[in-house]
Amino acid sequence: MKIAELYVDAQLAGRPEAEAASRRFKVPIQTVGSAQEVYASVAAAKDPIGRGKHVLYLTRNRGAFIKSCPGTHHYTCCGYKILHIGTFCSMDCSYCILQSYFHPPVLQYFLNHDEMDQELEQLFATRAIHRLGTGEFTDSLIWEPWTHLSERLIRKFAGQDGCVLELKTKTAWVDSLLDLPHRRRTILAWSLNTDEVIRTDERGTTSLDARLKAAARGADHGYPLAFHFDPIVIADGCEADYRRTVERLFAAVDPRHIVWISLGALRFMPELKTVIRQRFKHSRIVYGEFIGGLDGKMRYFKPLRMRAYRDIAAAIRAVAPGICIYLCMEDDEVWEHALGFQPAQRGGLSRMLDEAAVRQCHLSSGR
Amino acid sequence: MASECGEAAAIDPRVVPLADIDLGDERFRITTQRESGDLQASIRRFGLRTPPLVTPVGAGFIIVNGFRRVSACREMGWKSTPARVLPTASAYECALTAVAENSLERPLNLIETSRALNLLEQTAPEGRIPDADASALGLPTHPSVAVRLKLLCRMPVDVQDGVLDGTISFAMACELSRLEEDLGIAFASLFRRLKPSLNKQREIVSLVSEIAGRENVDPRQVLEECGLTQVIGSPGTDRNQQIHGIRRQLRLRRFPSLAAAEHNFFVLRQRLKLGAALQLAPPRDFEGTGFTLALSFQTIEEVVHLRAKLDELIDHPDFKTLLTGKGRGFEKALDS
Repeated sequence: MKIAELYVDAQLAGRPEAEAASRRFKVPIQTVGSAQEVYASVAAAKDPIGRGKHVLYLTRNRGAFIKSCPGTHHYTCCGYKILHIGTFCSMDCSYCILQSYFHPPVLQYFLNHDEMDQELEQLFATRAIHRLGTGEFTDSLIWEPWTHLSERLIRKFAGQDGCVLELKTKTAWVDSLLDLPHRRRTILAWSLNTDEVIRTDERGTTSLDARLKAAARGADHGYPLAFHFDPIVIADGCEADYRRTVERLFAAVDPRHIVWISLGALRFMPELKTVIRQRFKHSRIVYGEFIGGLDGKMRYFKPLRMRAYRDIAAAIRAVAPGICIYLCMEDDEVWEHALGFQPAQRGGLSRMLDEAAVRQCHLSSGR
Repeated sequence: MASECGEAAAIDPRVVPLADIDLGDERFRITTQRESGDLQASIRRFGLRTPPLVTPVGAGFIIVNGFRRVSACREMGWKSTPARVLPTASAYECALTAVAENSLERPLNLIETSRALNLLEQTAPEGRIPDADASALGLPTHPSVAVRLKLLCRMPVDVQDGVLDGTISFAMACELSRLEEDLGIAFASLFRRLKPSLNKQREIVSLVSEIAGRENVDPRQVLEECGLTQVIGSPGTDRNQQIHGIRRQLRLRRFPSLAAAEHNFFVLRQRLKLGAALQLAPPRDFEGTGFTLALSFQTIEEVVHLRAKLDELIDHPDFKTLLTGKGRGFEKALDS
């Protein structure tokens, strides 16, 4: 993470985190009365999205820290909960929805952790099974080198038995997490892709090998793992590339450490296409065979998705037949064709994943 | 500036030898019209009602307004012409006068507007047209509109001609301006010949560019391979059919699996022999799972007939393939 400008909400001036960020990034603190001042600075740049990756705004989360994943109509959602710790990402993936999700996008990191703790305590008190993750509006671990948020969260989740935290990343920054007393209540998760996609469309991320090595180290320290083949980019010859990625995954990690593997084909809001073409001139991902999905997003033509999922799932099952594989935002027809069953036949996707978490992370519900 | 122009109204009416007027200097030309035949007939019958406006340059004059009038007088064999001489005016004053005389006489077309904006900007003292001047002349003042308009008169003649004859809209001209010049010309020639609607033009440009992007080839190669350049050079055949053929070809290449599934669906549907009163439509792009069956009838007898037809349909193996068969009618796309 390289920060060129550091803004701090006036209400949080003097907080040690701001001083720490200023020292680490060697930039002065600029105190602002409102987010609009930060947005104006970013929006004035020639490439506001690129600029937003170098502007850090330390502020309060004025909304809820725990949100239900928005999901979309017509497609099966996994019932995930988002732990909203900050926004945007310092890495630069062409397909990243965050480029058009925030206007303008800016690196925001929330400092009102006491309020976050309160919300988590309330959720823990329900004593029901919940799956939470911090990697929806940002990468879970980009903040790791200068905050101790993951440590705080891992310790907090280790103190209860009903909820599991998933830290989803494209980095390899696990060093500071390895020796923490996690009690398997935290899943370390990586987004995986082919070397080609990582090279062309995931600027600033770590290589596949580095991700897998970090995962293996996590497993060595007892962490449960998860992997997300998302987004799957469908192009000529991609099946063989994804099969190789699966082979490399299992060469690095014993499947017994894996809680779940998700598959999700590239999908995006139509307006992102212009952003990708402007910011990633060499990317070809927008030239796939996309149609308008029922949720308004562009999706690959259904049979292409089915075939890609089926191939990748077959490669995974060949090595790890019992592993929990699920599809992200797909309908029953695709599930049936790709995985041979529909979620409802196993109690629904949410239950499938809860059971996997119970099994692998030793969760127990008080209800 | 307006008051300075007011001073410039101290115009000197004179008779000027036509040989002294440099018709080749078009720096103040706004009009896109070149022909002067109609003007000659008018001058012969009613005389030169408004003499051209010229300004001295060197030993002669250049035209500020009245290019067609000077041209008509020359073609009629006149040796001299009455003229209004604008003495010692600045370039910007001349430009303002040229634009004012044109725009107040008739609405400027898009190319003329583009020329007017460029001319004023090039001659304005600080390289920026004062909003008050642009507004008084009826020119757009919104910066983003003005920027795009200014591009028009710098585009290839084929594109400009397309804009003038109405086959290429301002929006499409702006899209073409982002392409390499000869590619823009190729599209402009195609659109001028076939006159597709703006939406179809956009579809064609987008499909060609996306095919080229995906296959990593030059868009001109796509145009060539899809036979678009042949269309440009071949007269005859119905233009609607040609447009349909081009779009179909491009779509087949851009969306091969979807096109194959659609074809497969149409073949299966044809075999059902539904007739005109029963219409079966697939889910849009085969994404959903709901088909639509529409029944058209006027009498009870027709409904009875449709009921029998529906019973036949339910038992038809191709109908089952469409609804429940493996791949729901797009199995060819899966196998391809």
